[in-house]
Amino acid sequence: MNQTPRTINRILLAVFGLGLMLAGALAMALGVPAVARWWQSTAAQAGQWVSNVLDATTLPGQRDSWLWIVLALLMVLLIILMFAWVANQGKGRSGTLAYDDDDHPVPGSVTINAAVAEQALKAALSERVDLVNSAVSTYEFRGRPALKVKVFPRQGVAPYVVAEEVSALVSALDAVLGVQTPVLISISSGARSRFTRAERVR
Amino acid sequence: MNDETTRLTSDVIRRETHASRAVPATIVAGLVILVCLYVMLEAALKALGQNPWLLGPEATAGWLGALPAGVSASVLAAAGVLIFLVGLLFFLAAILPGRRARLSIPNGRAAVVVDAEVLASSLARRARVAAGVTPEQVLVTIGRRLVDVQVRPTSGIPVNQESVQAAVEDELRRTAIDPVPEVSVAIAQSGVIGQ
Repeated sequence: MNQTPRTINRILLAVFGLGLMLAGALAMALGVPAVARWWQSTAAQAGQWVSNVLDATTLPGQRDSWLWIVLALLMVLLIILMFAWVANQGKGRSGTLAYDDDDHPVPGSVTINAAVAEQALKAALSERVDLVNSAVSTYEFRGRPALKVKVFPRQGVAPYVVAEEVSALVSALDAVLGVQTPVLISISSGARSRFTRAERVR
Repeated sequence: MNDETTRLTSDVIRRETHASRAVPATIVAGLVILVCLYVMLEAALKALGQNPWLLGPEATAGWLGALPAGVSASVLAAAGVLIFLVGLLFFLAAILPGRRARLSIPNGRAAVVVDAEVLASSLARRARVAAGVTPEQVLVTIGRRLVDVQVRPTSGIPVNQESVQAAVEDELRRTAIDPVPEVSVAIAQSGVIGQ
């Protein structure tokens, strides 16, 4: 429902995991003398090449190559990208349920705040004795507003009954608002529903 | 519901029943940030012509290039195994389907997703009423293809296996999850006393 970049998560996790696996496998294989000899000669060649590059990029009069500054800046860039990646996890809460600036019937724009649906549904759900708690939030999903209704029923309450009744509330909301947004009804168990007693009388 | 809402609803169901991998992603980002901060510090010190803080780039490269030398073989192998396993953990988190213990119930208007635990407790309630036992005597486990119900009867009062099976199947049919899992009811041989 949120805008967590799931494909990017999978790709970056796979790349990072593969890198660590390769490094670990190499470290394990270095116990074999043949691999150790190959590693040392390859490392020596690579080191030679790197020091050539560093010499070639050292400006006259300077002690060290300017590539070190480039490396430090690259690291800053990478750190910024990583922070951006983390900041995108779980993003997508929105404050607008519906927006219309069509000039067709009358000019002007109409905005319905997300709090309208959230408070209406929350008030309707809080009266129910078979629910321990509920939470309603609005997300922007694929560029369109969508409602998430999370309900925590008591132990033993049949989920299909809860689903039917909550979706009836949602249909009533549709009729009131005149727009149909995608809705997620998530029936979950939390710590409170686990530890409160099952309902006996309804 | 119009077509776009229907399509978005099925997308929502797919997203809600699969893991987002936000936690491993955040861990990886944190690790990369730490390594980058250190490399940035050493590179900046090198660029400014200062002495390295912990280990300069040349010293690090020299130590890496000489590797089996300087470290005992068992430590190197153990570190390798550890790094490999951590990498495997992240790799598996990325490539496995990442199904969560959630089921979707068909609904005409909304995407409905139920925690398996909630469904299990509703099945346990039906099973307990059908068997006439207390909540502690029923254990329901929900898998993708099988619902396993274990009932420990009260000592001296037999429990009818078929009626429990019928009750649980009826509840599953009403819930209308797809595919319908099979139900297996096991009545324990020994009963419990003092319920």
